[in-house]
Amino acid sequence: MSTPLAVIGVGQSRQAKRREVTIGALVREAVDGALADAELGFADIDAVVLSKTPDLFDGVMNPELYLADAMGAVGLPVTRVFTGGSVGGHAAIFGAHLVTAGLARRVLVVAYSKESEGNFTWALSRALPFSAHLGAGAGGHFAPVIREYIRRSGAPEHIGWQVAVNHRRNAARNPYAHIRRAGITLDEVRDSPVLWDPIRYLESCPSSDGSCAVVITDAAHAAHAPNPPAWIHGLAWRTETGHFAGRDEVNPRAGRDCAADAYRQAGITDPAREVDVAELYIPYSWYEPIWLENIGLAEEHRGWRLVDAGRTAFDGDLPVNPSGGVLSGNPTGATGLLRFAEAALQVRGMAGEHQVAGARRAIGHAMGGASQFHALWVVGRERPEVAR
Amino acid sequence: MRDVAVVSFAQSPCVPANRDDDMAEIVLPVLRDALDAAGLGRDDVDFFASGSHDFFEGRTFSYIESLDAVGAWPPISESHVEMDAAWAFAEAWAWLQLGEGEIALVYGIGRGSLPADLDQVLPAQLDPYLLAPLRPHRDALAGLQAAAMVDAGLTSERQLAEVVARCLAAATANPAAQTSGRPSVAELLAAPYVASPLRAHDVAPFGDAAAVVVLAAGPAARRLAERPAWVRGLDHRMDTHYPGARDLTRCDSAQLAGARAAELAGFAAADAEVAELHTEYSHQEALLVTALGLEKAQLNPSGGPLAGRPATATGLVRLGEAARRIMDGGAERAVAHATNGPALQHNLVCLLAGEPG
Amino acid sequence: MKLPEPVTTMASPLRMEYTYVAGAGRSVFLRALAERRMLARRCPGCAQVYLPPPEFCSRCLRPLGAPFELDGRGVVSTFCVVNFPFPGQVYEPPYVVAHIRIDGADTRLMHLVREVAPERVRIGLRVEPVWVADHELATSMTSIRYYRPVEPADA
Repeated sequence: MSTPLAVIGVGQSRQAKRREVTIGALVREAVDGALADAELGFADIDAVVLSKTPDLFDGVMNPELYLADAMGAVGLPVTRVFTGGSVGGHAAIFGAHLVTAGLARRVLVVAYSKESEGNFTWALSRALPFSAHLGAGAGGHFAPVIREYIRRSGAPEHIGWQVAVNHRRNAARNPYAHIRRAGITLDEVRDSPVLWDPIRYLESCPSSDGSCAVVITDAAHAAHAPNPPAWIHGLAWRTETGHFAGRDEVNPRAGRDCAADAYRQAGITDPAREVDVAELYIPYSWYEPIWLENIGLAEEHRGWRLVDAGRTAFDGDLPVNPSGGVLSGNPTGATGLLRFAEAALQVRGMAGEHQVAGARRAIGHAMGGASQFHALWVVGRERPEVAR
Repeated sequence: MRDVAVVSFAQSPCVPANRDDDMAEIVLPVLRDALDAAGLGRDDVDFFASGSHDFFEGRTFSYIESLDAVGAWPPISESHVEMDAAWAFAEAWAWLQLGEGEIALVYGIGRGSLPADLDQVLPAQLDPYLLAPLRPHRDALAGLQAAAMVDAGLTSERQLAEVVARCLAAATANPAAQTSGRPSVAELLAAPYVASPLRAHDVAPFGDAAAVVVLAAGPAARRLAERPAWVRGLDHRMDTHYPGARDLTRCDSAQLAGARAAELAGFAAADAEVAELHTEYSHQEALLVTALGLEKAQLNPSGGPLAGRPATATGLVRLGEAARRIMDGGAERAVAHATNGPALQHNLVCLLAGEPG
Repeated sequence: MKLPEPVTTMASPLRMEYTYVAGAGRSVFLRALAERRMLARRCPGCAQVYLPPPEFCSRCLRPLGAPFELDGRGVVSTFCVVNFPFPGQVYEPPYVVAHIRIDGADTRLMHLVREVAPERVRIGLRVEPVWVADHELATSMTSIRYYRPVEPADA
């Protein structure tokens, strides 16, 4: 019953601090792009999965309702997923499930954020009643985790700056990215204001407007696709509860289990060797070594060495976030799907200026909450021999 | 399709306002009940799916709190929809088709009592440029739909009152119902309008509750329940968003979902003996009866949402109540419906039976 | 006829008010804070001690045991320095937000650390709670104004 699945269309909007279009128009840019890539019309789509982060970010409740027409979803099954920042990944995986389950032949997965409509920082830092007024915000949550990683690994302080330089230079090759700084230097990152020690301004993600869409289908339909498909070799999601004593937020088990499941499906035993490119959910630069270790691309406490050796730079042997990644654009509802989609573009050979030469297998990764929600897929140029 | 059935359903009583318990404290006892009824432990569950919405809870990422009731450790396979949990049921049913596991647990929580004024909240569901700025009050669009129904001769104020009277009376036998009683049609018709022709009792009252449904595949279902309620067909569809762009006296998306579900099921809603409909307003009953082609079904024997509407758990409760009729042996075939959006824009239909396909 | 300029933005302010329910478990903890007491509870299953304690263990799903008091002192487990202006700030940056492991508890508490220069805060610093004045006590974490080093020499 199982058939290999593939991504046959990818679309995305230009990202910016504020796009002067309606939410529907922003979504439509990505949808049109994905359908055009796959040379399909709305009538060819059987189901829509919408990925979006908290509705408080833009004040539109149950946006799948308003977006019915923009997504071409009138008369179709529509599901709106929300699993924190990993939502784009969870949505892509659910879309794939619908095809595997035989409930749809071609699924359109759509993701967006129009952060400029509201105030994302405010939405995340409203103090709840009875709570301490910490005024910490998102970075204030992740910075202590980063500090603990640095302590455990003994990583030198420039690692975070190096990741920021890598990603920001990569973004210059991505016409869709929000922030592009081709000539950025280590010193500039080091000298940028410290926001939440040790996180610096240039090591942090922006808040962006942007959208992304992909079309997922089965092998039979992928055979007719005009452009090379990105075959799904493995996909997985895992969640762990956030509040129990003894939880390790630096190297969460949910992330390790998620990656292991996807690699097993893909027949990958040595991910660092067998994977050519990784698009990872890195909202603050230090999360690159943290995730490299968590998803098995580096041994524990040694992720930072890959960065230091230049291996994760665009011309390294394991480029991370050739698109510029989350540091260069963070439309939160779309960010996870962008990682999954960029991985697909790489193995399809369709990443334009930011194409990594010879990319045959790539990882798309997304994380949500306080590192509780993890989603990951492995895509490849070759059709898998047996269904995953 | 793999045979999947409901093997357990539990819910907490829908109350006007629960000021004692947080999300996890509401969900956990219901989760326990549902697992105990099927003789399952939390570790037996292969996939968890949930539905809830921040705008009822009043904070971002609210659903993460409900995970504390699930005991997501060691890490679990899980997903969440920011929708009525009926759509989480749909996701779990789809997940079980993959063959990666046998047992899925769906939970929904809805606390309609936390918003101080739903007129502040519900307009946010509308097109933010063209409709939301009009700030229609919470029942205005439903009122337009009900008025259109009456004008078209498809219902009458008296018929609306009869629906309410029947539902409230049925709810007297439902310990989970928020409200129940035996008002006469005359008493009901004497009440003032809130959005003519709708009166307060024509509007499903918001409350707080959680619901849990356990789904199992094939042999596992037979092992876990004496009389599983087999999910023979499930489908969901959307209409266009703009109430002005469609005929409010019809529900094409519910009709289409019903037809697609029937293709999978091998029987239609017309064959169902029981129908649990997500009627947020009394006038929607007649509309859905027509859209789904109901003929002989007993409508909302639980009392339905007119006896209690726990926000994002309401649709899941319909699925559970319909399944329960089959599990109790009271029906051979049942249909459950869930909705969201202005005037029935988004609809889900599920056909259940005492026999697998 | 010249068309008017297109509308590029429209203000659509939303205001939503909600009731927040602390929950049965946390209410016990919050009431104790109003008396300058810090209550913890142990899980009979995994023996982990929670502070603040909810009603049940989120790992074992068992109701936690009876509350018992801890003196509230603890150790900085990790921290960050908030360095820039921010909505909801009570103090002017830079200030330290830390995860504090309270002696006797297995979970960590997040709170401010003050009366010490931010650059002198370190993992392992022993800290104690500074309670607000009587008239400011409330069933809230704000009853603790902040944490400070136990040893003044650390400041």
